[in-house]
Amino acid sequence: MIPTMKSIPALATLLIAAIPSLSVAETLRVIGSTTVNPVVAEAAEVLREEAGLTIRVDTAGGSSGGIHALGAGRSDIAMSSRPITEADRERYPSVRFDSHRAGEDALALIVSHDVWQGGVRAIDREQMQAIYERKTTNWKSLGGPDRRIAFFNKEPGRGSWEVFADWLYGKAENSPPVAHPEVGANEEARTKVAATRGAVSQLSASWVDGETIHALAITGDDGQPVEPTHEHITDGSYPLNRTLWLITDGPPQGAAKRLIDFIQSPRGHEIVKKHGYLPPM
Amino acid sequence: MHALPHGRLTWQKRRPPDAVVFTCLAAAALFLALLGFTLILWVREAWPAIRAHGGEMLTSGEWFYRHQHFGALAMIYGSAVVSLLALLLAAPVAFATAIFISEWLPHTLRPWAKAAVEFLAAIPSVIYGLLGIMFLRTWMADWLAPFDPLSGDMLLTAAVLLAVMILPTVTTFAEDSLRAVPAAQRLAARGLALNRTQTIHRIVLPQAWPGMIGAALLGLGRGLGETIAVFLIIGRLDNRLPESLLDPAPLIEPGQTLTSKLGGPETHIAMGDPLHWGAILTLGLILLVLTTLFVSLGNLLLRKNPAHP
Amino acid sequence: MKKALQLLSALTTGSAAAGVLLLAGALAFVLITRGSAAISPAFLTQETREAGASGGILWQIAGTLILVATAALVALPFATALGITRAWLLPPQSRPARVLGFILQLLNAVPSILLGILGLILFTGMLGWGKSWLAGGVLLGIMIVPTAAVMLANRIESLPRGQLDAAAGLGLRRGHIIRSIILPQSAAALLSGMLLGLARAAGETAPILFVAAVFSGATIPTGIHEQPVLALPYHIFVLAQDSFQEASRTNLWGAALVLVTLVSLPALAAIPMRHKLHNAADHA
Repeated sequence: MIPTMKSIPALATLLIAAIPSLSVAETLRVIGSTTVNPVVAEAAEVLREEAGLTIRVDTAGGSSGGIHALGAGRSDIAMSSRPITEADRERYPSVRFDSHRAGEDALALIVSHDVWQGGVRAIDREQMQAIYERKTTNWKSLGGPDRRIAFFNKEPGRGSWEVFADWLYGKAENSPPVAHPEVGANEEARTKVAATRGAVSQLSASWVDGETIHALAITGDDGQPVEPTHEHITDGSYPLNRTLWLITDGPPQGAAKRLIDFIQSPRGHEIVKKHGYLPPM
Repeated sequence: MHALPHGRLTWQKRRPPDAVVFTCLAAAALFLALLGFTLILWVREAWPAIRAHGGEMLTSGEWFYRHQHFGALAMIYGSAVVSLLALLLAAPVAFATAIFISEWLPHTLRPWAKAAVEFLAAIPSVIYGLLGIMFLRTWMADWLAPFDPLSGDMLLTAAVLLAVMILPTVTTFAEDSLRAVPAAQRLAARGLALNRTQTIHRIVLPQAWPGMIGAALLGLGRGLGETIAVFLIIGRLDNRLPESLLDPAPLIEPGQTLTSKLGGPETHIAMGDPLHWGAILTLGLILLVLTTLFVSLGNLLLRKNPAHP
Repeated sequence: MKKALQLLSALTTGSAAAGVLLLAGALAFVLITRGSAAISPAFLTQETREAGASGGILWQIAGTLILVATAALVALPFATALGITRAWLLPPQSRPARVLGFILQLLNAVPSILLGILGLILFTGMLGWGKSWLAGGVLLGIMIVPTAAVMLANRIESLPRGQLDAAAGLGLRRGHIIRSIILPQSAAALLSGMLLGLARAAGETAPILFVAAVFSGATIPTGIHEQPVLALPYHIFVLAQDSFQEASRTNLWGAALVLVTLVSLPALAAIPMRHKLHNAADHA
């Protein structure tokens, strides 16, 4: 009995491992950022109907989740709201990351209505650093209401966080170890900031409604506040602008090329604009 | 429920096992072997982190994976506090409900009451999470406004939601152990002129008590493992440890449990990085050990029941 | 005085029970009032559009059914074998029987998120399947096995002993006794255990989170490798955090109502069956 017992798991493993060879997969797998997702999901719906392509879109793990999935061969296109980093290339040396622009976006620092009403309209990098490191804990010191600062941090793996930390500390890797309550997807960030007094978080500017949440201007070294408007993204004066990427392993082919070409076409640009982003420059 | 025919132990020796018996035994053995195999795989992949950070994981509250710090204490604290509080909130209601259903409610109404409890148990975790996001979070923030919580996401909110979720579990098991007290004893007590309250207090409860504690422990085990609902409303703040064990401050702050960490984005990111992945798997092992502990204790107590020999 | 105490005791426990009843009613009320706005034949038969804001939940329902059916197929043989082994093949009260019973109880209590991570180790890491319906079905199946096995074992233990004694006395082989006495008489218990387990499995998010479900684009799987499904609980989980537009809020509640209906039906169906078993056990 004992030798059989031992060989059973091995046998079962062999059997199970043999099954995948039977499968027929002609599906384009797209995984990653929730910021890029609405654009790709809608483009995929169009291509599904017009060209009969099978495109599967998933947002598990955000930008980094998408890049890891691409690196590990679990997806064909990564959606990312941050560029590929050295660390990514080191982790997946055999993958030839090929990045394509899907659009331009500003990462806004959003605050809840009471903070905005209380007079906080702009913030500079040092002030934001102090909030992030918990040195500033009350809006009063920023000329706002006497209210505790509730900072919601984008969770690990989100492109928004990487872009934010790059701006704040030069490089995300240099960010100090501090813990904050975390938010994941964009809507979650929006609802939580809208529902919490004294709240601030990072969020794509396209999600800002100007009623329940507001985008702060960022004060540059020249003392001029710059709002995250399309104009300031285009001329590059808003510091937290970023490109939304579609990333492939090697030059895109087949369905992947169709999808990327479509998003970069005038019709694709319309979809990009519809969701509040700028077409790629 | 005692021994099935004892004779079969002797005829078992005389005849070779037939096909049906062999299939049954083989399938059972295969299932257990696969389980053991996966447990071994799990430990093997967790090993790099246990070897490098095992001690740190149990003694440090600092978890910063980008800086290779893997302290799990704050998550263990979060899990313990949330599930214990949930139990404290749920157990009295569950016990009272179980006593009412088993001792007071007329026979004909019992199925209806049980159906309501079953319904609560059947609602999936993600639906409780949705209700938590849409309602409970706001209510808790308003209700606790005098203490100025950061937002509605806090350990206490998670505990309240979890209390509702384990309520049916504890009620069902507690009711089972009450009903396990033989009806004849209740009749005898009536014969001795004890009224119903006295019967409950002197006859039923003393016998059902261990089983009810067992029910509570099973509820605790369930609470510890609950993921999705907790994930949605706990706020996911890493590394929040109290000044002392009795410090209530973290209760109205966001926090993190073992499960909310495991259900979060780090599980996606960690795969492929042996240390980080190992640390995530070690969190899973800690969770497994804690649940095993409470559930085995709970089952032990449930078995002490007169009708579960 | 005694009467007052009686009344007080009845009132306290009664109000707790009333509270529980009220809670169940309130939850049902919220789900029905919020969800029914979305429910229509089209909602149940169309695919999702605009990331949940319009269209229906056809493939989410289909995916959940696929997962649950797979889980049932995976679980049934193992649950049957384990239940019979535990209650009939192993000598009762013997150490192996106790150990097996204990393992089943433990397995029943394993947090479902651990199954999800187990899926990552086995199906994503070791076998390289990517997300697959089969991975989700197997994990949910593992989840159901202990529930069904324990209910089956309890039923077998409560079978009238005289009959089994007589059968053994007549020199019937054990396999024969299993097929002609034990299985027919305990099938209802096995079925209700399976139903309960399946109802729980249908609503689970954690086991399918990493290895089986995606948010959009999957329909009926045509293979195993890289063949995920959409699933109701995962759909709700994503929309709860990321409902892009106000309209998707309504559809979110609609999906929630459909899921709760789906999981309470088998649970309710199992009640009368279990009730009968309970009573049978009481009289045994």
